[in-house]
Amino acid sequence: MRTMPTDACLDPYVRCALSGAAQTALGVSDSAVLAHAPQGCNYLVDGAFSWQDCDYAQTTTLCTKLCEDEIVHGGEELLARTILEAKELDISALFVLSACGPEIVGDDIVAVCEDMQPKVDFKIIPIECAGFRGSQYDGIDLALDAMLRTLAETRPTIPNSVCLVAPHANANPTWMADLAWVKDVLSRLGVQVVATLTHATPLSDLADVAAAEGVLQLSHDAGYRAVAYLADTFGVEPLCAELPLPIGMTNARRWLTSLGERFDAEPIAENMIADGERMVTETCRRRWPMARFFYRTPAAIVADATIGIPLVRFATEEMELTPALVALRSANLDAERLLERELNELGLAPQVVCGTDVYTTRRSLEAVRPRVVFGSTIERHASEGLDVPYIFEVVRPVRQFRLLNREYFGYRGILNLLECIQNEWSDRWRSTQRRYAARW
Amino acid sequence: MKQIAIYGKGGIGKSTIASNISAALNEQGVNVMQVGCDPKRDSTRILAGGHLIPAVLEIYRDKLRHGQDAHAISLEDIVFKTPSGIYCVEAGGPEPGIGCAGRGVLTALQILKDLKAFETYAIDVAIYDVLGDVVCGGFAMPIREGFASEIYLVCSGGFMSIYAANNIARAVQRLARRGDTGLSGIICNSNGDDALERAVVPVFAQRLGTSFVEFVPRSSVIQACELEGRAVVEHAPQSDEAAIFRDLARKVMENDVKVIPTPVEELPELEELYRKNLVKVEAV
Ligand SMILES: Nc1ncnc2c1ncn2[C@@H]1O[C@H](COP(=O)(O)OP(=O)(O)O)[C@@H](O)[C@H]1O
Ligand code: SF4
Ligand SMILES: [Mg+2]
Repeated sequence: MRTMPTDACLDPYVRCALSGAAQTALGVSDSAVLAHAPQGCNYLVDGAFSWQDCDYAQTTTLCTKLCEDEIVHGGEELLARTILEAKELDISALFVLSACGPEIVGDDIVAVCEDMQPKVDFKIIPIECAGFRGSQYDGIDLALDAMLRTLAETRPTIPNSVCLVAPHANANPTWMADLAWVKDVLSRLGVQVVATLTHATPLSDLADVAAAEGVLQLSHDAGYRAVAYLADTFGVEPLCAELPLPIGMTNARRWLTSLGERFDAEPIAENMIADGERMVTETCRRRWPMARFFYRTPAAIVADATIGIPLVRFATEEMELTPALVALRSANLDAERLLERELNELGLAPQVVCGTDVYTTRRSLEAVRPRVVFGSTIERHASEGLDVPYIFEVVRPVRQFRLLNREYFGYRGILNLLECIQNEWSDRWRSTQRRYAARW
Repeated sequence: MKQIAIYGKGGIGKSTIASNISAALNEQGVNVMQVGCDPKRDSTRILAGGHLIPAVLEIYRDKLRHGQDAHAISLEDIVFKTPSGIYCVEAGGPEPGIGCAGRGVLTALQILKDLKAFETYAIDVAIYDVLGDVVCGGFAMPIREGFASEIYLVCSGGFMSIYAANNIARAVQRLARRGDTGLSGIICNSNGDDALERAVVPVFAQRLGTSFVEFVPRSSVIQACELEGRAVVEHAPQSDEAAIFRDLARKVMENDVKVIPTPVEELPELEELYRKNLVKVEAV
């Protein structure tokens, strides 16, 4: 059964469109972000700054810090002045993002940017991403759209090349490791990455993006529109579009096989798969994690679609759990269809919630009563009083500090996930209070 | 202290009526302040000798430009006293097509409140003259708690002006539940079709659950006074129109009735109400 929260959202997991747009804009190097916003909204830009691991010494963010006067009289003049102030910065692009206030009163940031363009040396890219336009994921799409439409140019196709879309729309707290894994795989397959949209992306890569032969979307939550635009406008071929991202043995195998076939590198892909699977099984044989004790235990997966959808198979095949609830933070039709296909293939019929909020999650957990929850610290709290012995914190926000980026994609990714699970398992057994609660 | 708001369709004569009420009340020894809540800031023009006085938001802007804030504004900056003793304030607002005029009204009224304008000048009656229809929350501000409590609607016999008045009555209905606000009456400012207006406007008033307060005729005297930048009681004190405004001012002063209006919900009902009276008048 599939449900959607119908009433007003109670305690959303994801932030507003401005946040997603900032996450995307800050993934472009040698550029700055100017939030045409009151100062509170700008807090989201700070959050995006760390999400993209920006360098404080190199990345500047500006904010028009709108006050009552600009809401009453419009803030276009102040925006124009602030754009001029950015002249002092050593940047090749300035992304101008608008928040709710100025868009409600009708500030036309696109017109202001057009007017100011001849007066500055850097490229100005306006992104209308007021929070009311949607979620963080919608903001990522709005920003990618603005970037592609203003920057991408027709280029001769580079054989054996791809561009990567929306790696940052991924709730792995250290999603950069997933991106790094993908890049490493591609380089071993002899495939060149033309552009990444976005993470530490030079502006010139954005102009060249259409040279890519294929496009790989690294998120199930955002990036669909960008992929469609690249395909329709420049004929860039969507790759692995029908597959869940490579989390878990089967997903990784399918994903690598598909890429190997597409780029005539089957033997390399097959080797990677064989090596990876051997590495995982050998590691598990040596340090046998307790995963086997979970046989047919009812599990809930509460995550973004990017991690959540592939986790369904991981939980079912690797851990032999029975998914009883799948609650995704985003709601988009493509992701829902993919999830449905996976559930059909696996013969599962869990409760499915798309676009969940914390309250809906709590209600769903109450209804389903899982023994195991894959989620975040939020689900730890949302599960209180429900006798859920194990809560595997795999998606943001998690309690553990992570000094090193750890991927979930690929074979080391499987071990990283198993490590989270094992640690939670041992924690529970160590805790005298929960010891008996954990036994069933 | 009485706080009155005048609402109605754009161009229906709100500023004309408000100013002439202010002048008549002033003549009767009442201490009046008229607050224009329209970015056009022409509400108090005929009280101020045909001039546009500086607006609150304009002065606020000026202070901000010089690194000051709302605290730097003083009452002397924004309240103008006419030679005859009427206090005039214009909220002002953005240029057409930019910014948010509704938020501007909110800001200006808040500044006026913070500066304790009414207490300082010992105002007996404040009249808010509010832009056109109720277009958004900002323009409903004068109806909200702490501001005007008695609402008057101005309409003529034109169908669209009655339609607009009905819409405003809906806003009053919504907001009146929360405080001590209500509809106090309907003023007909004639467009010249006297017979129809005298038939339809009282029926409409009754339908809303309020009273029909005054009939102000279409008049060249009113226009002549406007041209001179003066109120009717000042410029044509002996005219019939002056007598009407004096009467209206007295009625407003005496009227304490505030009702939660019962606006017409469906357009066909309003059309029917109008059509019936149209037929009645034509038959005569
Ligand atoms: N009773 C009237 N007789 C003649 N002209 C009038 C009358 N009432 C208003 N007017 C004219 O109609 C115009 C609009 O009136 P105004 O008070 O500015 O409308 P509002 O404030 O509702 O927009 C003015 O030029 C005014 O002189
Ligand atoms: S929802 Fe709007 S007001 Fe709130 S933070 Fe986002 S942009 Fe700002
Ligand atoms: Mg007016």
